[in-house]
Amino acid sequence: MKRIYLIAGVMVAIAIALLVNSAKDMSTYGSFADANTSSKKIKIAGKLAKNKPMVYDPVKDPNHFSFFIKDSEGEEHKVVLLKAKPQDFEMSEQIVVTGRMKDGVFVATDLLMKCPSKYKDEEIAIKSKQNG
Amino acid sequence: MEKIQYIGETLLPGQIGQLGVLLGFVGALLSMVAYWFATQRQETAEYESWRKIGRIAFLTHGLGIFTVIGSLLYAMTNQLYEYQYVQGHVSEELPMKFIFSALWEGQEGSFLLWMFWHIVLGFILLVKGKSWETSTLTVLAAIQAVLGSMILGVYFGFGDEASKIGSNPMLLLRQTIDAPIFAQADYVKLIKGNGLSPALQNYWMTIHPPTLFLGFASTSIPFAYAIAGLWTKRHTEWLKPALPWALFCGSILGTGILMGSAWAYEALNFGGYWAWDPVENTSLVPWLIIIAGVHTNLISKATGHSVRSSYIFYLLSFLLVVYSTFLTRSGVLGETSVHAFTGSGLGNQLIFFIAAFTLPSLIMMIWRWRQIPSPKTEEATTSKEFWMFIGTLILLFSAVLITGSTSLPVFNKIVQYFNPAYQGRVITEPVIHFNKYQLWIGVFIGYFSGFAQYLRFREHNWSKNAQRFAIHVGVALAIAGVLTYLSSLLIQLPTWQYVLLTFSGYFTIVSNLDYLINYLKGNLKAAGSVFAHLGFGLMLVGIMASGVNRKIISSNAFLMDGLIEGGDEEMSKKNISLFKNVPTLMQDYMVTYVKDTLVDFTRTYTVNYQRKNKAGKVIEDFNLYPTILYEKTFTKIATSNPDTRHYWTKDVFTHISALPEVEQNFELKKQREEELKYKPLELAQGRTVLLLDTLEVENRDTVFTRTFQISLESISRNPAHKDYKPEPGDLAFSTKLKIRRSDDDSVYYANPAILLRGQLIYTYPDQIDDLSSKFKISQEAIEKVFAFDNQLKYEDLNLRQGDVGNWQDLKIKFSGFNKNPEHPDYTRKEGDLAVGAMLDISAPDGKVYHAEPIFLIRDGQPLNVKVEVGELGLHLRFPLLDPGKETIQLMLAKSSAPSSIPIEVATDALPSNYIVLEAMEFPGINVFWLGTLLMMFGLGFSIWNRMSTRRTAEVAAA
Repeated sequence: MKRIYLIAGVMVAIAIALLVNSAKDMSTYGSFADANTSSKKIKIAGKLAKNKPMVYDPVKDPNHFSFFIKDSEGEEHKVVLLKAKPQDFEMSEQIVVTGRMKDGVFVATDLLMKCPSKYKDEEIAIKSKQNG
Repeated sequence: MEKIQYIGETLLPGQIGQLGVLLGFVGALLSMVAYWFATQRQETAEYESWRKIGRIAFLTHGLGIFTVIGSLLYAMTNQLYEYQYVQGHVSEELPMKFIFSALWEGQEGSFLLWMFWHIVLGFILLVKGKSWETSTLTVLAAIQAVLGSMILGVYFGFGDEASKIGSNPMLLLRQTIDAPIFAQADYVKLIKGNGLSPALQNYWMTIHPPTLFLGFASTSIPFAYAIAGLWTKRHTEWLKPALPWALFCGSILGTGILMGSAWAYEALNFGGYWAWDPVENTSLVPWLIIIAGVHTNLISKATGHSVRSSYIFYLLSFLLVVYSTFLTRSGVLGETSVHAFTGSGLGNQLIFFIAAFTLPSLIMMIWRWRQIPSPKTEEATTSKEFWMFIGTLILLFSAVLITGSTSLPVFNKIVQYFNPAYQGRVITEPVIHFNKYQLWIGVFIGYFSGFAQYLRFREHNWSKNAQRFAIHVGVALAIAGVLTYLSSLLIQLPTWQYVLLTFSGYFTIVSNLDYLINYLKGNLKAAGSVFAHLGFGLMLVGIMASGVNRKIISSNAFLMDGLIEGGDEEMSKKNISLFKNVPTLMQDYMVTYVKDTLVDFTRTYTVNYQRKNKAGKVIEDFNLYPTILYEKTFTKIATSNPDTRHYWTKDVFTHISALPEVEQNFELKKQREEELKYKPLELAQGRTVLLLDTLEVENRDTVFTRTFQISLESISRNPAHKDYKPEPGDLAFSTKLKIRRSDDDSVYYANPAILLRGQLIYTYPDQIDDLSSKFKISQEAIEKVFAFDNQLKYEDLNLRQGDVGNWQDLKIKFSGFNKNPEHPDYTRKEGDLAVGAMLDISAPDGKVYHAEPIFLIRDGQPLNVKVEVGELGLHLRFPLLDPGKETIQLMLAKSSAPSSIPIEVATDALPSNYIVLEAMEFPGINVFWLGTLLMMFGLGFSIWNRMSTRRTAEVAAA
């Protein structure tokens, strides 16, 4: 057995071990029910509850944006994002928040949102010229 | 629908373009086949003719693709919106300089760009490839055929089963979507373009995609050489011509990736240069692999070892580019990327693309495995090739880990295919995840690229080299240790892993410099590798300084992601609200939002930074100009662009993360303004008026009240208001109001103004954001201040030309007549005899005002035109002219100060004069840029060196 194969073999073993180990860094999208039972950070995917209040008052606190999300199980819950309110937030189709439950509020440190695609926009954007 | 005869469509460019698409596709196929036969029949008489066909077909293919690009550009520059690609990417407002950016913004355009580079590179192979021409171009033509199919846009199959091959950029809009507007025959006149997203209208979009795609395209050449080597069984010969291409690829692809980083850092607002986004990852991985390939290629050339690895790496690099195309364009990544991807409908075709090149590569590799020469003797552990090879394994290792994590969505899809109930997994915190593992890659590569420099290929006499090796490595380790210690005084090295990383970076820097000086003796010809590895070391140190020590100025925490458990919630608070002209202390800086100006759609904010030393002396004072770009409607913000102050040692980065709602949407601002509830107040000078303000308390049935104390301090007939620009003939004044509110200790002043210009009244309200209140002067106040004529008591004054007369406390000089007098209230009529008296009026404070009352005779009637000097409250008439005595008679009056001024107060104004700012300091970021640039330079330098030695060898051989 060549040394180099040995080393390569060891590295492959380490790679597998690391990838297995990195499963710890991964999770499924959770629900608010999961967040209630876990103290770890989780990701929740859901839709913005548009009929619930959305509050961002930078005069009071520029790092406090609160809104409600309906998760995959249909539960609506308050979320506080510790960041500025993202552009086009109201237009989002799906929202993914990363955070944990604190005193009954889901405190998020990160937010990803999916907006309607450009291709869909194209259909709407064909409008007649005003002074054509 | 089909019966409509459309008018105004320009169909020719589309037809030419379609022809180009077909020519491109068929040409590539034909070229592939012909070159294949040429390669197979290398030794026969047919070779020449097959090669000729291959060449012509490849050039025809090139012509076809250039024609597509040409007709598309023609349609774009002429704004032929009947074409779907033009409508989607161009608009009337789009400046011509961004036409290329618009060309490659879309999916089809970027495929065209990719093919364009393949044609250019293929042409070089065609001319310079010699014995490799036919085999490599077979492979390249095959790639072009598959890419060409991506823009074919043909349907096959029947009925509902019909599937589409490719997405054609030359299609008409009405062929791609169904909309009611196409019922109109002249629809072309009625539509307009979507244009290029404002966020992409910058020079990065002009230079980044072409560079990156040249990088992607250039992975195809080492790939083609590898396939050619396997195919023609020239397992060692192919390594030599492939090396410069691999070096070229490493340097261009690397530069392309860096441009993306620089773009993200300079012009986007995510506050950094690397975010482990899938798009970044999947372009980094082929680069890592091509660099690994360069190293095994060097080993193979020097020792004959690692030929198989060179094959594998070069094959893999291109295959990973194809895989990256699949990941980023098929929509499989979903919401894991900030780059908004949509499924293009090409998913299956992209999977075919992967399979079409992976399977043959794999089969050929297995088929030829035993034939590929591999020395029986083992590499010595003291040899250069041994450690270089381990280094390439580490690069592969890094690539596997990154690809594995990035492919998680693909893994989910596959599992869900078999088990629909499976819940997809995601990486909870990608940045922490990637940093954690890739840190170790950096550490190992750092050490290896340091000490491996001192080792020799095919080491047979280690005992002779050992001592020198030990001394140099020992000294380099010692110096690196000292430098790491010194760095720890300047920047934080939060964990022992990061200490190791810094140490490893310094070790590479020191040992490569030492190698350059003491081994190469300054011989720069062989220094490409030294530059590249030196650059890598600098990059590691730069990452440590600027990435790990990135400091959020606009909050109070050091941001070190994931290093302190539970601290990340505090750290994610990165924003601060800055009120206009209110200096705010942020870390060491006193920061002030000074002003903002709106030009076209861009609003530029001036943010002043000041830093004082302990003695209170200002040692740093600069302005940053972050901008906000509005959408055309001014109802939405299109993009927020940061601004950065560059120092040699650090960068100060600033961007606006939010604006008050009314400043984001001007429609809303107008609407809010109309909804304000103004209450009238009569303010007498010297008396304070109380205003009771009631507030409803959210979610409760109670209200609470507070009182405003408002008093009129003074009236200025010379108003200064930010929105008011004085013009001659204006009658304007402002009031200075002193305001206190019961629940606030401060005293506030408001200066609303009002203007009478011609017949129109303009009001200029003033807002006090701290009190959410707005003050304006009622329109009735105009006549109180600028009294009506019949309420004035005029006095006469007779003056001769050149005289100075006294009236009250004013000195009035009559300097002469103006035969062509002008006044807003006077319009000349035929037959008028009009003359103006030019008067200079000196006030007691020394100020001189010019006034020109007019006397005229119209239809035999004497008339005069009154003038008013608003600031003095002076009314002037010129009713009589005595030509005999050369005297004029003036009538003068002063309006008295009004007893009271009516104003209006609204206490529900939305605050609007603040910005939400995010500011960061990147220490030592220039070390990072310098390091990465040096890496690319080193790679480029090696090509140049290799090319020039080859030329010298060729000349010598001749």
